[in-house]
Amino acid sequence: MTERVKLTIPSDPKYLCLCRKVLQHLLAGHDVSEDITQRLILCVDEACSNIIKYGYDGCPDFPIEIAFSLADDRFEVQIRDYGKQCNPSQFKSRPLDKIEPGGLGTFFINEIMDEVHYCTDREKGTLLTMCKHLVKNECFPAQNKSRGSHEN
Amino acid sequence: MKIELESHRNENGSATLMIKGEIDMNSSTRVRARLTDLFQSDQNMIVVDLSGVSYIDSSGIATLVEGLQWSHNSKKIFRLTGLTPMVRDVFEIARLLTVFEVYDSKEEALKEA
Repeated sequence: MTERVKLTIPSDPKYLCLCRKVLQHLLAGHDVSEDITQRLILCVDEACSNIIKYGYDGCPDFPIEIAFSLADDRFEVQIRDYGKQCNPSQFKSRPLDKIEPGGLGTFFINEIMDEVHYCTDREKGTLLTMCKHLVKNECFPAQNKSRGSHEN
Repeated sequence: MKIELESHRNENGSATLMIKGEIDMNSSTRVRARLTDLFQSDQNMIVVDLSGVSYIDSSGIATLVEGLQWSHNSKKIFRLTGLTPMVRDVFEIARLLTVFEVYDSKEEALKEA
């Protein structure tokens, strides 16, 4: 069975937490592991932040429509805005060997989600569709193992 | 979602910034402003305690990267401690965990370099 939840938030950063809470609640009812939940929340949050920053140029009064769809093995989210259209082929992630602020949001989305599609074939705005295939009880290994990091 | 920022200046010339809550596009500007103040102070070491942070996005990471860059420019020490699993995971995805000086405890982080 597929569960669907829709919400619309204003393009004001103070409402991003609402979207995160709704998604967390939805995923909690479907045995999605905590680490995958957090990664999916991150992707949706980054997509909405990009819309606020680039699509609506920081104006806080425009709509962001979000539609979540969750089945046993597939999570899909569609995010619709009516702002400035950007050319998806020009969305660039920050090269990871360059240590500088910014450019990570798109990288997170591309790294975490299995499918990412931007549709600008409309009069105004963009429809972003992102999908993630879910595997029961899957965790990201990095979450639970010691990491080879430069820790002191 | 509120974010709480609490900074302490310690006797050994270090400062601790304790962050509680969620760091996102809405709250990262406050974190950045507080870090700016700390870098402009005469403290020679700044330790950011993230043990109360349940969520961080790319704007939060970018703020900490800025802090790292300021530390290089000012020759001040900049350290992170108390990374929660969510925060650690985001650092790992961004391949930034090895770029920062990350400590398990605040006490270790506050030891002299």
